[in-house]
Amino acid sequence: MNFDLFFTYRPLLMAAEVTLIWSFLTIGLYWLSKFFHRRYKRWWTAPIVITPIILIIITILSHTNYNVYISGTHWLLALLGPATVAFAVPIYRRRSIIVMYWRTLGIGVIFGSVLSIASAWLLASLVGIDSTLRLSLLPRSISTPFAMVISGEIGGTPELTALFVVLTGIFGASFGQLVLYWLPLKSKMSRGASFGIAAHVAGSSKAYELDSEIGTIAALVMVLTGIFNVLLAPVLEMILA
Amino acid sequence: MLPHTFKKTFILFKRKFHRSRILQIGLLSIFWLVAQEISLLSHLPIPGGVIGLLLVLMLLYFHILSIRSLALGAEWFLAEMLLFFIPAVPAVLNHQEFFGWTGLKILAIIILGTTIVIIGTAFIVDFSFYKVEKHSKNKNIQ
Repeated sequence: MNFDLFFTYRPLLMAAEVTLIWSFLTIGLYWLSKFFHRRYKRWWTAPIVITPIILIIITILSHTNYNVYISGTHWLLALLGPATVAFAVPIYRRRSIIVMYWRTLGIGVIFGSVLSIASAWLLASLVGIDSTLRLSLLPRSISTPFAMVISGEIGGTPELTALFVVLTGIFGASFGQLVLYWLPLKSKMSRGASFGIAAHVAGSSKAYELDSEIGTIAALVMVLTGIFNVLLAPVLEMILA
Repeated sequence: MLPHTFKKTFILFKRKFHRSRILQIGLLSIFWLVAQEISLLSHLPIPGGVIGLLLVLMLLYFHILSIRSLALGAEWFLAEMLLFFIPAVPAVLNHQEFFGWTGLKILAIIILGTTIVIIGTAFIVDFSFYKVEKHSKNKNIQ
């Protein structure tokens, strides 16, 4: 018998196995935690908090390299692209908000972006984080694709920025609600804008869960913030240099 | 006879499309793929997802595309969006230096920084909403 064919295709088979196993595990754990979260509502049972923790534990216990894990699940990350496109529907439905409140939206986007970059810079300097890491932290509050472009432009590490962006999103989505409950805010617009600016897509998604109007404003502000920050990046580069 | 049949088939297909979530998910993905190509070819620093979003907004605005052809698919994407973030988190495993002081410092920066941004933005927008927009009588999104 000739096994050459088997050995030729062995790497391909392994790639398929890796994709199947890790994708199944990721999606399965996500669904389980979602089910569990419906029964037992705590901030730490939220799918975005508990699923990555369990996944990290499993990858450590099974001695799996992250590069292997991501090679099997990067297609899930890629779905963030069409998910961004999907925000066109709620934005279109409430387009009258933009027309009516463009001044407030603009003020929020500019002020929030500057605050986000400035706070990251000051806090990092305060605890003594060195330059490349500090630069990678600056664009952490805008959505991943934008943030990676900006991080590369100002001299950070795009890959690290992606991680910080996700952590910011998790924190913003989980605790933003709590913070906003305590604040004496009068308008839905302020809640939406702060979710969208501080916690990008994750915040918008969470906001959408709370209230479709808040979520729409968050999505809108998120997109505007992303575009504004890309335009801001060359200026930022000049200031930093 | 033939054009009539075409029209009928098209209407039937449209009806099916408006009810099918999976086809709409596919359409959104195609829009993203096209936008990704545009982003690559044009060398704009704008990611494909956002170009796709603007593209779809244009199509909706000029009534080339009906909102019912996307609504179900978009609903699904928005509801399950957090799943797409999860595979990025175990990337910490590639950075052993984060399992220590540096990691705690970064976590502190992210938590404090995000709290500052949430509170600051919320107040400035609330302020602006009542000061700048005072003259507009519309109160529909208080």
